[in-house]
Amino acid sequence: MKTENSEYRVEMTGISKSFGVVSVLEGVNLRVKHGEIHALLGENGAGKSTLVKILSGVHQKDGGKVLLNGEELNLKNTHEGQVKGISVVYQELSLVNDLSVAENIYLHKLGANKFWMNWKKITKDAQELIDSLGFKIDASARVRDLSIVQKQVVEIAKALSEDTKVLVLDEPTTVFDPTDTQKLFDNLFRLKEKGISIIYISHHLEEIFKIADSITVLRDGVDTGCLPVSETDTDSIIRLMIGRELKDLYPVRNATVGAEPIFEVKNLTAKNNLVHNVSFSVKPGEVLGIAGLGGSGRTETAKLIFGAEKKKSGTLILNGKEIKTKTPVDAVGHQIGFVSEDRKEEGVFLPLSIRRNISVTNFRPISSRLGFLKVDKEYENVLDLIEKLNVKAPSSEVNVGNLSGGNQQKVALAKWLSVDSKVIIIDEPTRGVDVGAKVEIYNLINEVAEKGVGVVVISSDMPEIMGISDRIMVMHKGTFYGELTKDQFSEENILRYSIGKALKTT
Amino acid sequence: MALTIKEQLSSPGGFLKFLIKHNTIFIFIVLVLFSALISDVFFTSVNLSNLLKQVSGIGIISIGMLIVILTGGIDLSVGSMVALLAVTFAILVNTFILPLAILLTIVIGFSLGSVAGYLVAFQKMAPFIATLALMTIARGLGFIYAKGSPITFTTYGGLYMSDFANNSTLGIPNIAIVFFLIVICAMVMLRYNVFGRLIIAIGSNEEASRLSGIKVNKYKFLVYAISGALAATAAIIVASRTNLGSPNMGMAWELDAIAAVVIGGASLNGGKGTAINTLMGVLILGLISNILNLLNVPSYPQQVVKGAIIIFAVLLQKFESK
Repeated sequence: MKTENSEYRVEMTGISKSFGVVSVLEGVNLRVKHGEIHALLGENGAGKSTLVKILSGVHQKDGGKVLLNGEELNLKNTHEGQVKGISVVYQELSLVNDLSVAENIYLHKLGANKFWMNWKKITKDAQELIDSLGFKIDASARVRDLSIVQKQVVEIAKALSEDTKVLVLDEPTTVFDPTDTQKLFDNLFRLKEKGISIIYISHHLEEIFKIADSITVLRDGVDTGCLPVSETDTDSIIRLMIGRELKDLYPVRNATVGAEPIFEVKNLTAKNNLVHNVSFSVKPGEVLGIAGLGGSGRTETAKLIFGAEKKKSGTLILNGKEIKTKTPVDAVGHQIGFVSEDRKEEGVFLPLSIRRNISVTNFRPISSRLGFLKVDKEYENVLDLIEKLNVKAPSSEVNVGNLSGGNQQKVALAKWLSVDSKVIIIDEPTRGVDVGAKVEIYNLINEVAEKGVGVVVISSDMPEIMGISDRIMVMHKGTFYGELTKDQFSEENILRYSIGKALKTT
Repeated sequence: MALTIKEQLSSPGGFLKFLIKHNTIFIFIVLVLFSALISDVFFTSVNLSNLLKQVSGIGIISIGMLIVILTGGIDLSVGSMVALLAVTFAILVNTFILPLAILLTIVIGFSLGSVAGYLVAFQKMAPFIATLALMTIARGLGFIYAKGSPITFTTYGGLYMSDFANNSTLGIPNIAIVFFLIVICAMVMLRYNVFGRLIIAIGSNEEASRLSGIKVNKYKFLVYAISGALAATAAIIVASRTNLGSPNMGMAWELDAIAAVVIGGASLNGGKGTAINTLMGVLILGLISNILNLLNVPSYPQQVVKGAIIIFAVLLQKFESK
């Protein structure tokens, strides 16, 4: 075995890559040792995903050298990469919805050299693999019926089903709550013990400090340094990532909170009972955080309020008047906005331009009574919002699919700012969004609140939800378990409520 | 990105990119030039007006097909609807005064389309299945009402219509004028009206549309109803051209309409396509038949050539998206 011949498992030197005229990577270096967790950091669009795709064989490099165990590697496709032991868990889930968990995990081996499939063995192997990761998923279940968290686990299991030497994880924890994240980390440590090299891409710096041995930071297609985690701290990493100091991640809250609630929810229960007896109120100018573990009913609560899922009972009161939201059309009619956690599937229209995306919620001010568009007014409105939200795009006619995650999220928000919403519910406002854009989104939420809007933010990111909320409601098993006031904010308190425990009395 | 034509042409590899991007118009122009070179008869007014008359009926239902496809659906019933509605119009025009007969036919077309719309939008039936069922129902009803044979126009109103359908104004066949007016209407509605914006939004992401507070069901219902009304218009035109309504009319027209829309660069997944490009698609298909007829190519090889051109056009669009 040549394994010990070189100091590094993976050595990428001087990698360059451009798509058409756009240069994405310009001489990037990445060196990963045996049995090391190596964090790859950088803002959206810095070139992390492209670099990883070159390593795995999705893209071919224009220049530079890739060495695996000291041997030069020129992959033409991902299959060759898998044979060499390079497995990647991508940000976009790549599972086949209509196949079972087991079939998905062994998809690449189906029809390999045998004519008949041994379904029993495949299902058994898959089940063992998942059990060894510590998650509860039935290997014979159809992927379509899994939650997004479970899908991510299957994705990871799939990557590990091979004789993996290098495991690349691209933002694996975006959908995970803290308990699941911890389980994943335990697994990663175990793999590391076995000598597997792990390349870990994440926007969560606190995660990096928990697990990584060393880091490489990319900025605008070049690497700005590779250093051991022990020799660095959050501030210097952020400086490397964005090239400037980042003083305050969370804005100073200076909205005046009204006395009377603008929006009240009483005893909201879903038809399928996944959410039951949820009651809360939000005041104008207030940011209410909703925390809880994945599957605790946060998103379902938001969708119930918005009329996107069926209610069994419950009362909604807006400005003192009872309203009914049977469909999203009703909710929008009452000036309630909802930004979905699933940006690509439910939030934005990827093939349409920024202008068309923003205008879609509200045509009244930009069209005549017969529905003819006043294009001048539309441009005025859209350009105004693009500037205000600092959406980075060459023009309003660029397709949203070509924007980075952070800019897509801004467009999704802009949709609801073009309508004068009274209440805005934002589910995971910064999932998959880089640090720079995060700050801008936080500022935006703050500004919206200042205008007297009642803002409800759902988030799994604990520092985030504590940083931007005035008050936090914690969900547990489909209902509100407890409320935290600002002076009670702490990760421990949120977690205690999330798992259905009382706060520690001091 | 919104570049001007000049910028597109001057960018590196610009001319080729420009051709690929506007491939429908490009194919159209090449076909026209080719036709003019190869046949002396092609550029005669008789031939050109024949060509326009031949494509007008399919052209009108293609516009209906386009708006359905824009929402991500499909309407297989239009060909049979033309048959049923042509028979219906023949019966009505022999019974009532002309304006009433026209109005009733269009209303019936709209209502039949509404049935498909209701099944797709409110009963969540797959568009392919719902309109497939309506396709056989409409064809069957056509034969039942016509008692198996064509119904000839007998009244003054019917003769007036057939006069209208076979004559020209300022050298352009009247029925082509109707078709062009419908294309212009569709262009305006798709580009400058909220209606177009919304159906394109629904076609590009239905769930995001729903969560943006768009009345998704209402618009999905409407596009099938409009497609039905356009099928009625096409039916009136083709019936009037031949002075009769026959249950054999519009055979497999739904396939030609789909082909025209696809050649025009629309995506069957929805969200992408324009009226002007669909017009080009219709004219391209018409041109192919026309030139092959002028060259005395028998109808079986014609079908082969038609299919080959569809494949070629769609392959070109693949380059566009790269």
